Amino acid sequence: MLAVFKAQLKKDVRKPVTIIVFMVVSILATLIFGNSTFGKPPTVPVFSTEPNGKEIEEKWIHLLKDSEALNFVLTEEEGALEDVASGKSSVAIKLMENDYRIITASNNSIVPFVEQEIHTIFSEEAQLQAVVGEEDTTKIRKVVESYLENPPLQAEVKSVSGGEIPKHDMGTQLLFVFTLFAAMFTIGFKVNGINEDKVNGIWNRLILSPVTKTNMYVGHLLYSFCIGFFQISVVLLLFQYVLKFELGDLRLIMMVAAIYTLSIVSLAMLISGFLRTPEKFNMVFTSFIPMIPVVSGLYMPPGTVSNPILLFIADLFPLKHAAEAMLNITLYNASWNDISLTVAILLLIFVIYMGIGINLVERRRG
Amino acid sequence: MLETINLSKTFKDKKAVDDVNLYVNKGESVGLLGPNGAGKSTTISMISSLLKPTSGDVLFNGNSIIKNPAEIRRVLGVVPQEIALYEELSAHENLNFFGEIYKISKGDLESRIQEVLEMVGLQHRQKELIKTFSGGMKRRINIAAALLHQPKVLILDEPTVGIDPQSRNHILETVRKLNEQYETSILYTSHYMEEVEQLCDRVYIMDHGSIVASGNKSELLSILSNDDTFHVQLSKRSEKLIDAVRLIKDVRQVDETENGLRIIAKKRSHFLSTLVHGAEKEGVEIIHFQMEIPSLEDVFLHLTGKSLRD
Ligand SMILES: Nc1ncnc2c1ncn2[C@@H]1O[C@H](COP(=O)(O)OP(=O)(O)OP(=O)(O)O)[C@@H](O)[C@H]1O
Ligand SMILES: [Mg+2]
Repeated sequence: MLAVFKAQLKKDVRKPVTIIVFMVVSILATLIFGNSTFGKPPTVPVFSTEPNGKEIEEKWIHLLKDSEALNFVLTEEEGALEDVASGKSSVAIKLMENDYRIITASNNSIVPFVEQEIHTIFSEEAQLQAVVGEEDTTKIRKVVESYLENPPLQAEVKSVSGGEIPKHDMGTQLLFVFTLFAAMFTIGFKVNGINEDKVNGIWNRLILSPVTKTNMYVGHLLYSFCIGFFQISVVLLLFQYVLKFELGDLRLIMMVAAIYTLSIVSLAMLISGFLRTPEKFNMVFTSFIPMIPVVSGLYMPPGTVSNPILLFIADLFPLKHAAEAMLNITLYNASWNDISLTVAILLLIFVIYMGIGINLVERRRG
Repeated sequence: MLETINLSKTFKDKKAVDDVNLYVNKGESVGLLGPNGAGKSTTISMISSLLKPTSGDVLFNGNSIIKNPAEIRRVLGVVPQEIALYEELSAHENLNFFGEIYKISKGDLESRIQEVLEMVGLQHRQKELIKTFSGGMKRRINIAAALLHQPKVLILDEPTVGIDPQSRNHILETVRKLNEQYETSILYTSHYMEEVEQLCDRVYIMDHGSIVASGNKSELLSILSNDDTFHVQLSKRSEKLIDAVRLIKDVRQVDETENGLRIIAKKRSHFLSTLVHGAEKEGVEIIHFQMEIPSLEDVFLHLTGKSLRD
């Protein structure tokens, strides 16, 4: 078992490129997508083409600027249309006296969000307008706002653990998703080493040797586990200590990472069970794995995906469970107890997939 | 010591091996010869306990290895047809790995590695990666890996296929040495008749899953024909001599060739003295006399209707 493990390690020490690439990719992807797109509010160009356009723009941009979720900026009509056409902005807003138009090139997921945001602002203004008639709404707005600072009825929303609800942080979510996702490839390719050994005859040499079959599998799988866990750990440690992300209880996160790695080893073994050759494994694995985070809706804020079939499929893969548990630890300070159900699911996946996988692999050879 | 009994293997509905009976005695070197797809590798896989036969049995020292493969595995070395090595590791690292899985003790392992490297003549390149080796050198390391635990029975599956003559000679030398000096029993599979002729005490010829002939070289050659062919080169043409030779008992046919005669005679016929006397009498000098030696290749062609390398 140790010999098998060492041989795999030597191979990777000699050619560590793949693992390094996956580590770099998961960090870069987080920095690029996590910070720019999701960290900052998206920019929405606004303009008006009415005769009294300047006036209208002035009036609305002032109110729109209050939005925290979106970054509205004044532009010329041409510039705005160009941005939308070229995809630089997903939407632009055309302002009118008491109305607006949303301009978009595609039915992007951000459209309903922008719509909702801008609708709120406009209807608020309309309500105030209705109260004061023709007059300027500035004064009454001030009154309403100061009243709302100390409303007679106060409802406070608290998180389950009693603390304040932190804002959901898409950047942190993507950090975990990319890190866990990239590790899937590393682990999968290593588990595929078993299939490679079988094809090139090394497996037969092992069978003829005094090494038991269990030890042959354990040697390979243990190595896959270690290298996958090593990758995730290095990436998370870099995020925490070098890039200064606040990940929270790192020991607990590592624990989830370890159990996640186990379950991915099993998943790769299960896929091996269905596919005969290492080439097929690589082909299917690399085309199938990238669909998991998409189907699981992990690139979007939680709750975006509501299709029950997709939700069910997402539940079958460890990625969603592990990402959720880690996110809960980081954002909500979840304890071991809070995530124990998720951990149990991951362990269940590990046991079931490994059992089926090894059985399929061995049956085929018989 | 090692024998198969009505060994058969069917894949789906293709009979790859059909009722094969063969044996290898202790210290014997046995060849298994056959064209592509004859079923050699399949037979070898079953003999080395890697593949379960559909029917039949393999006995090692009288015990079935199918029920209990441990006994044979301890003393068995198998050189697979493919290169079963880690390409990214060096020759030494590969041998170290295969030594470790055979649980050779740390103290002995290094000397064993050097020993097998020397045997295949690659001691000076042991630090280099397998993927930088030529096909022939890979095959030599492939053999070395099967020798680390000093097997008493060595099965080689086409160890010389597609390699340079130097590597090939090295491999043949190694196998011969193992057989002669270490009394290793050898089962050697090949496409190449000359190798088997050189190396093996006995040969099995396999085609379409069955053994079509077996025996030592002369036994196999005797299959070919009951006649021998001779070429006689003479100093001059002599009608009388030809007639005289034709009259000899057991001589079946005499043809004139460019510079002499071709005589086809029954095996072990005694026509030589008559020929010599006849030539003396006619004043004809015998310049050259040669028996045409049929090769096992000819036997093979005769048996299977195809040449070994197609
Ligand atoms: N796993 C398998 N499944 C199905 N058919 C097989 C399998 N292995 C071998 N065969 C078939 O059995 C026959 C014998 O194959 P085998 O490899 O034993 O031949 P061989 O004599 O070793 O040929 P070669 O000289 O090309 O190595 C071939 O027709 C081959 O296609
Ligand atoms: Mg073969």
